[in-house]
Amino acid sequence: MIRYAGYVIMILIGVSCSSDKDTYVPIENAKLDFVVPENFPEPSYDITLNPPTEKGFELGKKLFYDGRLSSDGVISCGFCHLQDFAFTHHTHIVSHGVDGALGTRNAQPLHNLAFMKEFTWDGAAAHLDLQPIIPITAEVEMNETVGGVLKKLEERPEYVKLFAEAFEDQQINAENMFRALSQFMILMISANSKYDKIERNEGSVFTETEAAGFELFKSKCASCHTGTLFTDQSYRNNGLSVDPEYNDIGRKRVTGLSEDIYKFKVPTLRNIELTFPYMHDGRYKTLNDVLDHYANGMVESETLDPIFRNATTTDIGIPLTEGEKEQIISFLKTLTDDDYINDNRFSEF
Amino acid sequence: MIAVLAIISCKEDDNTIVGAVNLNFSNTINDEPIVLNTGSYTNQSNETYTISELKYIVSNIVLIKENGDEFKYPVSESFFVINEEVSESKGLNLTNISSGEYTKIKFGIGVDQSKYPLEGANFVPTAEENGMIWSWSSGYKFIKFEGSFTLEGETTTEDFLLHIGSHGEALDNYKEVTIDLSSTLTIEDDTTSTISIQADVAKIFDSINTHSLEIQKDVQVDPTSPLLAENVSTMFSVTNVSN
Repeated sequence: MIRYAGYVIMILIGVSCSSDKDTYVPIENAKLDFVVPENFPEPSYDITLNPPTEKGFELGKKLFYDGRLSSDGVISCGFCHLQDFAFTHHTHIVSHGVDGALGTRNAQPLHNLAFMKEFTWDGAAAHLDLQPIIPITAEVEMNETVGGVLKKLEERPEYVKLFAEAFEDQQINAENMFRALSQFMILMISANSKYDKIERNEGSVFTETEAAGFELFKSKCASCHTGTLFTDQSYRNNGLSVDPEYNDIGRKRVTGLSEDIYKFKVPTLRNIELTFPYMHDGRYKTLNDVLDHYANGMVESETLDPIFRNATTTDIGIPLTEGEKEQIISFLKTLTDDDYINDNRFSEF
Repeated sequence: MIAVLAIISCKEDDNTIVGAVNLNFSNTINDEPIVLNTGSYTNQSNETYTISELKYIVSNIVLIKENGDEFKYPVSESFFVINEEVSESKGLNLTNISSGEYTKIKFGIGVDQSKYPLEGANFVPTAEENGMIWSWSSGYKFIKFEGSFTLEGETTTEDFLLHIGSHGEALDNYKEVTIDLSSTLTIEDDTTSTISIQADVAKIFDSINTHSLEIQKDVQVDPTSPLLAENVSTMFSVTNVSN
């Protein structure tokens, strides 16, 4: 049947296979530029395998803000990732999901994801494209299935149209859904903070306090919060006491290795002023609390990162005076990117 | 629509001869098909066990000719869940196989995540339906093997649960196996051939490595998983080819 139909059409349009390209008029779907900021490293995400387009991005954004991704139709990605707070959850310590279910971890901010190698606090997602499976299917988050989401999307004419416009095969399927979400997420680049403008010599300058804080940061924090992404993307135990309510084993859940127990991903510090509460379980409300922890709140354990151990004494942590803490915090606030927080391209409305 | 049809017609135009292959999996112990729940088996650690669930992912199917030339089944269509409980799941119908004489078959157990992950993303809903996705991780369970067991000389039974998959980027448990066909597979125009593959389930416990349930009855993300994955990679053989 199909074979005959094919021949009929070919005869009707009277072209050979080799000239299909000339006669096929693609739907208007402009490519979007993925621009690496001048002070950024090369992305980890291979853009050539999923080049963002106008329609792909639009679809990704629509999916990001659509409660249909959850079983109760209410919890969207944007529910726990709010732009005002650099796409993290602000009012709750740990994420909230369907039916008021409580997660065990603090939603992470979303920015510069194309430059990250692994995702979530323990690295459970080895690739950005498949990361959405975790929140979609987790009972305490969206409690859905990928198949269930696709069925709901197929029933919506606006999605039928958008998928058809965004992708050559025009299909509503898992691959295209993940592609679209990634196209939206890889373009979420935050690189216009005061710090960036200084790093790129665009005329901004640190205040005296910020400059002092930057010097302290470089000597006391930057071995883990490395480079312009402010993370070396490693997993470390930073001496948090184990909360018996969660007993979160951290990276061990992914690798199964006892040496990885209580290790969590070193988070980026970009927009850190906005992404409170802090740590994987959101236990600290303020940056002051965080620095108090590093100065004198750490607890000993077998997998505590050696970087926090003192060479000559049994002390653990990073010695900091109150004044130094203030200076560091004032530097950290230069990482806030107001342009990103207000960028309409990423806004729900 | 027109473009799609034109592409199909191009495929028909290039005159390649294609046939089909049914790949039939049979999960056995002592050369007999296993019987879920009621079949009783004993491993080399003298542990008597019954099996309540056996599922595994087969992917990246390749047919290999004597001279080493390969016919790769389209990767995006090459992901399947073999589920002992569902007989239809154990017969894979592969179509559009290039003609030729093949002497080996190669396939993956699990999903090769080192490749671009979206290649197999359309398999996600199927994997989900079969409970082959870990919801806390974006990875697949490659093998799911569950049941209960009794230790030698004892009467109480305990459940066992062996789930094997990759551990993020840290540990890749994806395995590829290449096995000789028992006789040459000849693909000609419009023929449908059959390859019967036997999976010797007992080898999950006893092969390159020995796994005792008394020592460990629950394996998920665990340093033991690569030992089991190695064992699984030895359990397949081709018992029959009919052209």
